[in-house]
Amino acid sequence: MEFGPIWRALLRNKGGAILIALQIAVTMAIMVNSIAIMQERATNMQRPSGMDEANTLTFASISFAADADLRATYINDLEMLRNTPGVINAVGTNSFPLRGGGWSMGLQTEPGEDMGGVGAAIYFGDEHMIETFDVELIDGENFSPEQVVFLDPDNFRWEPYVIVTEALAKTLFPDEEGSVVGKTAYINQNDPVQIIGVIDQLQAPWQGWDDVEHALFSPVKRAEGFARYVVRTEPGMRDELLPQLEEMLASADKTRLIRGAQTFDEVREGAYLGDSAMIKILGFVITLLTIITGLGIVGLASFNVSRRTRQIGIRRALGATKPAIMRYFMLENFMISSVGVIVGGALAIGLNIFMVETFALTPMAWWVVPVAMIILWLVGQAAVAGPARRATRIAPSIATRSG
Amino acid sequence: MFRYYLKLGALSIRANPALSALMVAAIAIGIGACMTIFTIQHMMGSNPIPHKSAQLRHVQMDSWSDANPYNDGANPPIQLTYTDARNLLAAEQAVRQIATFKSGRIVEPEDPDELPYTVSGRATSKDFFAMFDVPFKYGSAWDAAADLSEEFVVVISEPLNERMFGGEDSTGRRITMNGDTFRIVGVLDTWSPVVKFYDLNNNPHEPVEDTFFPFSTAMANEYGNEGNTNCWKPPEGGDRAAFLNSECIWIQFWVEIPDQAAETQYMNYLDAYVEQQKELGRFPRPLDNRLPDVEEWMILNEVVDDDVSVLLGLAVLFLIVCLLNTIGLLLAKVMRRTKDISLRRALGASKASLFSQYIIEAGMIGVAGGLLGIGTTWLGLLGIRNLFNRFDFVEKLTHMDWSMTALAIVLAVVSALAAALYPTWRACQVTPASQLRIQ
Amino acid sequence: MLKMTDVSKIYRTDTVETHALREFSLTVDEGEFVSVTGPSGSGKTTFLNIAGLLEEMTSGTYELDGRDISKLNDRERSRVRNEKIGFIFQSFNLIPELNIFDNVDVPLRYRGLNAAERKRRIEESLDMVGLASRLKHQPAQLSGGQQQRVAIARALAGEPRFLLADEPTGNLDTHMADSVLDLLSEINSNGVTIIMVTHELTLADRAKRNIFVRDGQVTDAAPEFLRAANG
Ligand SMILES: Nc1ncnc2c1ncn2[C@@H]1O[C@H](COP(=O)(O)OP(=O)(O)O)[C@@H](O)[C@H]1O
Ligand SMILES: [Mg+2]
Repeated sequence: MEFGPIWRALLRNKGGAILIALQIAVTMAIMVNSIAIMQERATNMQRPSGMDEANTLTFASISFAADADLRATYINDLEMLRNTPGVINAVGTNSFPLRGGGWSMGLQTEPGEDMGGVGAAIYFGDEHMIETFDVELIDGENFSPEQVVFLDPDNFRWEPYVIVTEALAKTLFPDEEGSVVGKTAYINQNDPVQIIGVIDQLQAPWQGWDDVEHALFSPVKRAEGFARYVVRTEPGMRDELLPQLEEMLASADKTRLIRGAQTFDEVREGAYLGDSAMIKILGFVITLLTIITGLGIVGLASFNVSRRTRQIGIRRALGATKPAIMRYFMLENFMISSVGVIVGGALAIGLNIFMVETFALTPMAWWVVPVAMIILWLVGQAAVAGPARRATRIAPSIATRSG
Repeated sequence: MFRYYLKLGALSIRANPALSALMVAAIAIGIGACMTIFTIQHMMGSNPIPHKSAQLRHVQMDSWSDANPYNDGANPPIQLTYTDARNLLAAEQAVRQIATFKSGRIVEPEDPDELPYTVSGRATSKDFFAMFDVPFKYGSAWDAAADLSEEFVVVISEPLNERMFGGEDSTGRRITMNGDTFRIVGVLDTWSPVVKFYDLNNNPHEPVEDTFFPFSTAMANEYGNEGNTNCWKPPEGGDRAAFLNSECIWIQFWVEIPDQAAETQYMNYLDAYVEQQKELGRFPRPLDNRLPDVEEWMILNEVVDDDVSVLLGLAVLFLIVCLLNTIGLLLAKVMRRTKDISLRRALGASKASLFSQYIIEAGMIGVAGGLLGIGTTWLGLLGIRNLFNRFDFVEKLTHMDWSMTALAIVLAVVSALAAALYPTWRACQVTPASQLRIQ
Repeated sequence: MLKMTDVSKIYRTDTVETHALREFSLTVDEGEFVSVTGPSGSGKTTFLNIAGLLEEMTSGTYELDGRDISKLNDRERSRVRNEKIGFIFQSFNLIPELNIFDNVDVPLRYRGLNAAERKRRIEESLDMVGLASRLKHQPAQLSGGQQQRVAIARALAGEPRFLLADEPTGNLDTHMADSVLDLLSEINSNGVTIIMVTHELTLADRAKRNIFVRDGQVTDAAPEFLRAANG
């Protein structure tokens, strides 16, 4: 191959080549870091919440009458919901995965102040939680109806039983080989709670939280002015039931409002809105950027071809075949691109390290740099193909004709 | 001469329409990317009350745990306990001071056939309105007596007044919320600070509240807090009294400090207060009182989203790619015209005149790119608005004002001129004879 | 052996048809040194381009070394140019981006010779034209005569059977022109067939055979016409 002469010819005419290489390098830095961020966000979005998202809906009931019987409303509401055909189960709770708001507490294995705890999201609810949230009890048992109490707003205390996620159990008792059922942890520094069950997986309400897999159920029914219901339906029934259930509750008791009716798909969309927007914006940015860089290469290559018309004719006269002319431009572009992607690789890694330190991003996966390299190589080759094909059409007689 | 260069530039641009279009488009897209993100960042972080922001201070005191310092000791907690808020409010050591928290309400319409509805609400003191220069359409803030005697008075927002009373002067009328009947004392005029700086607890860009009522009234009637509550030590007991006495933080506290002397004085007071509380066994951490102003407060609370900063950095790199693109194309243009240039040189054109010719041509491309860039920025902002159409506040953030428009053009022209420097320099290097020899 | 029979070449543009060659017939034998003269526009360059496979003819037959050229495709034509024919142009046609060594290297690359062989040939041919010491120079750093000698070296490096030259001295002064002609005679004496287009009769006289072209045809036109034309 004719690397040597092409390289030396490039060095004689550095300006344009360096500009393309630089353009490719900066494009690569942007592309690599965008892909890294997109990949990080996409991975986040793929994490399961633990719920039966396709068949779950939620709404809140807000009571405003001063003399309302909140417990009666709560009991009535849930009974109506659970008895509706198509509803698998329903529960009243304070929050659920992906909601973005909720309650977390520190848990520790020894009582006392300043022990340093493990953060865990608290979901209050009764013995219907497990079925409604569609989590699997992998050890121990569910709450018995006797263990579940109504919250007393004037005298809050922690109920002595909890069901925890497996991840939380592992963090609390890292050395425990066998079952953690029966073990005691301390919530709120001093209040003992006994683990009676372990569920496979359920996220905390904050998807961006470091301890997102730490969650526990506490057997408390919160019949306050504000009740949040989660309903799990038979497959395919959700969209039909949502307005129906909303209407049913609203008309059953006029001293309260039903607000925030949402399917779980909408909850998920809201929770990951920033992430999915970021993915879309970055995807758009790198597409646009690739097009601009590609067009830039097309423009410069066209210039080069027309500037070298005579030279191409001479080469043809001296025996270059059309493929040889094509190869010349492709190879030249490949060499420029190679310089670009190598410099770009270094730039990209530098930028990634900077962003990881400044914005607490996850360091990028190893494959992003080579993938971006291949993409840019291909873009370069595709961009130069047109002008190169035009170059092959230059007649060899140019060598004798234009003086 | 300038006209002649303009004509030459136009000719050259027309001679290479595809290429010139590519350059203009590249600049426009680069400018669009930069300005879209910059507009959002600018709006997100812009000072909502510039004329007064230095005088408005949030109070920070380190009431946190010694074993687990707040934010690893980097800064004191960003809210106050009820105990401290009450004490500071009673002490009245600043020109103005307010304690405030968010508490949504349910309005019960007089007409029983009409359904109740939720409104946002804020408990605060009368100084709130004077401190934050809140504009009134009708009426005014409540008076000190209302704060003292826990009266049911309310100031409502313009949209709520529109909804309830069709925009009429509603002062003196009644409104029942959660069973309590309030007397309307004031109606706000349009007030929509881009950043809801006085409470950065939840979403810093949500609209201001619909209803404002006395802090004292809210406390006396046990209104709940909708903002964040943070505790390092459990309340000693399960009832509300225990919670109010606890070390849980949940109240925002602002003071107005007109000058340096007032600041020193207030800091002294705070230090003395904390020392006194230490004697009572509170405040285990070393003395660390701070009075950040509005701008410092916004930075501390990271009002500008990290994602926006990341995007802005990438957008600037994007513009650089577009400029490299332009430099390359301009250079190619010059290289192809070396014959023409050396002929002009031979015919007596000076380097200076060549320089002017090419810079003016680049300037024309820059202006075109800038004008088109306004369009692309507008499109970019529209795109962002669509991505976030669930949130009303994005409307405010994606607004391109005159300063941003002007900046877009200036940035485009400056970029194009910067991009033109190297190619133009190369053009000036062409010697009169070189190109007239052979080949 | 080169044999053209009734070759014609018509250039068509939107408005005009130019008959650059009409029923042009010529045979050149192995080892000849033929000069082609004729007035400007008579079709000399056209003839050379067709002979050198730079252009295709409109009709007629052309045999080179016993092969019918009209049946070859682009790749085969390129190959014939590369292996059998050496070109020398009026305006030298060195590639400005390449140094002398790389310029001479161009046709050898297309032949796919190995590096050592290419180096040997480049050095040998540059040595023959007396420029062995200028390997690393750029074309722009050489005088016209030197550039033309590089072009000759480039043509020779491929060890062609035919050397086609179109006004090889047109851009040179008389002294340089003489030295280029000396070089061509020497090459011819080594067995290379040379066809040289020129309109200078003094130079044409140095060829072994003279051909006159007029209106795209080989004629018996009196040399006086040409002498008059050249003043
Ligand atoms: N590409 C072309 N298109 C049209 N006419 C051409 C072309 N090349 C040459 N001709 C015409 O063909 C004729 C012969 O040209 P040429 O062979 O170059 O003459 P010479 O070399 O003898 O001066 C001229 O009339 C010229 O104008
Ligand atoms: Mg000619």
